[in-house]
Amino acid sequence: MSIKIIKKGISDRIIDAGRYGFQHLGIQPSGPMDYLSAQLANTILDNDLNHPVFELHFPASVFEFEETMFICICGANFVPVINDKSVALNTPIKVNPTDQLSFLQPIEGRSCYLGFKGNLDESKKWLNSFSSFQTTLNKGDHFVIHKVTEIDISINPFKQHTIQQVQKNVFNEHEIRFIPGPAWNDLAPASIQLLMQEPFRIDAKSNRMGFLFNGPAIHLSAPKDYLSSAVTMGTLQLLPNGQIIVLMADHQTIGGYANLGQIILVDLPRLAQLNNQCPFKLSIINVQTAHQLYRSIQSWFKH
Amino acid sequence: MQSQRPIFQIQLLGDHAIVYKSNTGQLKGIDQDLLAFTQFVMNEKINGLKDIILAYDTLTLVYDILYFDSNPFLFAHTILEQFNASKKCLNAIENKSIIEIPVCYDLSLGIDLQNAIKASNCSIDELIQQHSDKIYTVYCLGFLPGFAYMGDVPNAIQLPRHPSPRSKVLAGSVGIAGKQTGIYPMNSPGGWQIIGRTPIRIFDPASPSLTLFKAGDQIKFKPIDLASFHTLNAHEDVH
Repeated sequence: MSIKIIKKGISDRIIDAGRYGFQHLGIQPSGPMDYLSAQLANTILDNDLNHPVFELHFPASVFEFEETMFICICGANFVPVINDKSVALNTPIKVNPTDQLSFLQPIEGRSCYLGFKGNLDESKKWLNSFSSFQTTLNKGDHFVIHKVTEIDISINPFKQHTIQQVQKNVFNEHEIRFIPGPAWNDLAPASIQLLMQEPFRIDAKSNRMGFLFNGPAIHLSAPKDYLSSAVTMGTLQLLPNGQIIVLMADHQTIGGYANLGQIILVDLPRLAQLNNQCPFKLSIINVQTAHQLYRSIQSWFKH
Repeated sequence: MQSQRPIFQIQLLGDHAIVYKSNTGQLKGIDQDLLAFTQFVMNEKINGLKDIILAYDTLTLVYDILYFDSNPFLFAHTILEQFNASKKCLNAIENKSIIEIPVCYDLSLGIDLQNAIKASNCSIDELIQQHSDKIYTVYCLGFLPGFAYMGDVPNAIQLPRHPSPRSKVLAGSVGIAGKQTGIYPMNSPGGWQIIGRTPIRIFDPASPSLTLFKAGDQIKFKPIDLASFHTLNAHEDVH
């Protein structure tokens, strides 16, 4: 049983929850941009939450399936079609031999997740993770899937609830919340006001390494040099030109720009799916509330 | 004994990482207490810690929220107290051996060498001697897998980064950027001034240790000639 790439997308890869434990060597985690949609695809397919999935960006790859198997598409809506017939998001789909899956146009969101039932060969792991490392999917790539016991996969009330909650949390217009970082107090007071009041948009030059924000120019009270220290997904850095960049899934492991704060885990999937034309505002939250929110969203994935 | 316990400032890095910052102020190598603490945390294998990243004057712990109670300052203190109680503080630095790295400072490999001697107003031999006499400390790894930020480069041969990076710097290239020196682990774009090249691989995804260096290591460069470079060359461009 296998999945074949028959046309290359702009920037697609295989990911799992990420490659942790090696950042001290400069090796980044390479996890998903939107972990909630990736977890959702796995929940719908009764997989482990950490099971590998394909992460797709538009224009996305075209896939061909060699045998009957179950797949599920979550996250961004790129209008998926199988042999030119439209298929639904957030539901198990049974595909047949020679079926081709392609994506027609980006309607909402930036990152789409293609989950599958069955296991990749363990030898495909590097440093305990299936996540692609500085590579993307190419035409001709071939993923052998070890079949698992054939059972019919269906949507039950538990999954229905998880789907609704994830959709509600990822695709909405809420503020993006952050916890102030070490350089927050170095900001000019007028810049703090702008940051808290003005809307921002995501710049077209953004990618998996980082999202550049378009908005008012932000400045420190006085120029300051910082020693490089660890950064994570969601770190808000201030560039010398006054622009903000938020580090995303393929972030460097350390950074030396002013660290203004950190977007909370719960809001990262929403930011990751925001289209360039959508304005958003930033707001401050404390760590206790951020933890409560994270615990509550992770409870959606437990029976 | 109380006064000997290291005190680090504890900061949040958002909702899933905490930072211990040493208060040594002026950097003269890595804070030995912070280095000992890093080794302690790595050895403890604490459940729920996803990454342990030492960089200059900070140690960052990336954690899984679901493993810890909601007050990160509290568990950050607990880990530090365990370290203080372990009495490993001051004798944990066992590995003080110096890693010697062969470098060929030939003009054909050190593509910025000509510029460098002009800017530092010295001869090639003087520059090589200044760069290779010094024992450097690895402050942290980052930028690329295995890329080690080492310092401090002697004042006389400090060079600024190129205003815009080169599109391709070869694996093994040895560069200077201000006080820092480093080796490119793979072919990559890069803005550092390249003064030589090592024939050995410092990052190998197939080797168990992956990288040649880790934060806290001591490094010394050993000048070699072009013929030795070609004999030893382990990079993929070898003919």
